[in-house]
Amino acid sequence: MPADQALRVLIAEDGAADRLLLAQIVRRQGHEVFTAENGEQAVALFAEKRPQLVLLDALMPVMDGFEAARQIKALAGQALVPIIFLTSLSEDDDLVRCLEAGGDDFVAKPYSAVILGAKIHAMDRLRRLQATVLEQRDQITRHHHHLLNEQRVAKAVFDKVAHSGCLRSPNIRYLQSPYALFNGDLLLAAFTPSGDMHVLLGDFTGHGLPAAVGAMPLAEVFYGMTAKGYGLAETLREMNAKLKRILPVDMFCCALLLNLSFQRACVEVWNGGMPDGYRLSASGELLATLASRHLPLGILAPERFDDSTEVMPLGVGERLLLLSDGVLDTSDEQERLFGVERLQAVMAENLDPERLFDDVLQALKRFGGRARDDISLCDIRMVEPGFEAPAAMLYSDSGRSSPLDWSLGLTLRGDSLKRFNPVPYLLQLLQEVHGLRPSSGVLHSVLSELYSNALEHGLLGLDSGLKRDASGFAEYYRQRAERLAQQVDGDVRFDLRVEPHGQGGRLTIEVRDSGAGFDVEQVLARPAHEQGFSGRGVNLVRRLSQHAQWLEGGRCARIQICW
Amino acid sequence: MDMHIDHQVLSDLQDVMESGYQQLLETFLEDSERRLSQLHGAKNAAELGMAAHSFKGSSSNMGAVGLAALCQQLEERVRQSPLYGIEDLINRIDQEYREVQCFYRGECARVSSS
Amino acid sequence: MAVETDFSRDEKKLTIKVKGRFDFGRHQEFRSAYERQPERPDTVVVDLKEATYLDSSALGMLLLLRDHEGGDDSCISVINTSSDVRKILAISNFDKLFDIS
Repeated sequence: MPADQALRVLIAEDGAADRLLLAQIVRRQGHEVFTAENGEQAVALFAEKRPQLVLLDALMPVMDGFEAARQIKALAGQALVPIIFLTSLSEDDDLVRCLEAGGDDFVAKPYSAVILGAKIHAMDRLRRLQATVLEQRDQITRHHHHLLNEQRVAKAVFDKVAHSGCLRSPNIRYLQSPYALFNGDLLLAAFTPSGDMHVLLGDFTGHGLPAAVGAMPLAEVFYGMTAKGYGLAETLREMNAKLKRILPVDMFCCALLLNLSFQRACVEVWNGGMPDGYRLSASGELLATLASRHLPLGILAPERFDDSTEVMPLGVGERLLLLSDGVLDTSDEQERLFGVERLQAVMAENLDPERLFDDVLQALKRFGGRARDDISLCDIRMVEPGFEAPAAMLYSDSGRSSPLDWSLGLTLRGDSLKRFNPVPYLLQLLQEVHGLRPSSGVLHSVLSELYSNALEHGLLGLDSGLKRDASGFAEYYRQRAERLAQQVDGDVRFDLRVEPHGQGGRLTIEVRDSGAGFDVEQVLARPAHEQGFSGRGVNLVRRLSQHAQWLEGGRCARIQICW
Repeated sequence: MDMHIDHQVLSDLQDVMESGYQQLLETFLEDSERRLSQLHGAKNAAELGMAAHSFKGSSSNMGAVGLAALCQQLEERVRQSPLYGIEDLINRIDQEYREVQCFYRGECARVSSS
Repeated sequence: MAVETDFSRDEKKLTIKVKGRFDFGRHQEFRSAYERQPERPDTVVVDLKEATYLDSSALGMLLLLRDHEGGDDSCISVINTSSDVRKILAISNFDKLFDIS
């Protein structure tokens, strides 16, 4: 019976005739044979020739088979070198000795070529199996090191992406477990040109690299659009469309987005799939919950995506607490969850806002939960407007071409008013004028204010007097959504003119609506703090720009900025 | 039926050994002289037992079944004490060996002439 | 078997029953349940009576099922949900995509 593979076989047998016979039998089966007369020779020969299989006589002079077997196994190390004992020992004790010494099988005298061939074949299969296992183990170890390294690099990149915003702003406190990003948790914050703050707390499905990979395109959209002055709704639409396009069907991103307007002391909220956020008073009392009303991002096609947001007032000193589900899902040994009630209890008991995070973490630890590595907590405080100037936008042009003498008219009619927000485009255009770049923030605020007033008060006829309290806010925005959904009659027109003026230039903006107008004289005659309630942004606009006027019976707002 | 030699075993041996058959026979004969001396010269029961064991093995490989059986008996007997009748058994082994020695020498001659 | 299927020819309804933990480990079985059907059913019912736990991988699997059955044209209900399971489905507003009871 020829063997599949020629092996190197060591035969140690003290009987000369037996040795001769055995060597011949094994050679005939196609193997290369080395012979030894005693145990000592056997061990030496093994070390020199490194055979793949050993046939050992149990009883030999100088060093017996048992000792030789032990030494050979030691020399072999992790690799399997099968040892077949040649023995006529019949007592169980003797056979046990063979096994304990490292023997893998026995062969009795008289030698049978058939039996020997079968045993060699079987032992060789085992040997090759062991070799494969060791090789695969080494391969796995190498791959593992590769993976760890890749993750290290990826994490470094992601950290840059995720933290290029304004999370270090003094009114934000946050806590993220070190591998939160690697478990799909994302926390982004950025200022709009007008000084509003957009915040996103997200949670991608899955863990590790696949979850974190979706974070990059999402962060890009978030930062890019926020910096250009786009609103929450448009940013949400883009983020959803992008994720829907690039992520596999079963992956999505739960997200909670905020638009904090310090000037208007309110916050706009969109929550798709994240746990409730909480609105807290300055003393930590629970005022409202920011509940999930939408499907997470990346699931619905653009036509079906719902970008409607909730707006609520947020006074100076009030706070918003956001968290990822790692907090609520922390479990104890009995697999009970920490849950919402326990969290709310901690919030209620907390006396010092600075210590809220510590209180939560302590409570989690006391609960007996295993420390999870995907906990994200974020505490945002509403502050006075203008407390911190947002970082200047970076421009990537050469600074050589700056249009200095031009005008533009843009009229939006009917259905265009429903979804399209012209402000970011106009702002981008104006930023082509270098002299206007330092005023980006002002321009964004003024354009947004004038546009929303023209639309909401001029065309939709909403009463800003509603916006005095939380329920009024809710009612105002409900009406806004309702009226916008219906047929919108009328139009809003922008006229921009840039012309040289003295050493620099002058920008004139006129915003007209086809609505009923308002009694300008009357509003301007009121005391300053009451003017704010007209809803015409009169205070804001006058504060920010030079020469603010209201003409044509209140239907046209006109401002000028010189540089 | 031959009580001394299992001819099938011998025939298989010749097949396996091919041109080495004669060398095997000669090696066995040489080896066996040594083993006999070991048997006679054994100083204690353990040595005797080991010698008998080895001789049993090599003779069974060569098909000398009678010889192997006697060695087996000796191996077993040596484990019991007191050791009596041992001399007798050893002598019988001597005799049996002389028988098969003749036969193997004949085989050698036969093979070398063909 | 953690995932059992039953296809009713007369009603052209495929029922997929998930037992125990409905998580990432069930991925292969769940997909086989609807991918290996010879006929396209009119409705699909996911029975979670014996499901003890649901996580975001399960939500992903439901989305894959919905996509396979025609996306917006599909008709999939998730029945016998425990209050815990319903809570998880509610937070993600999956009732906008599936009929949940």
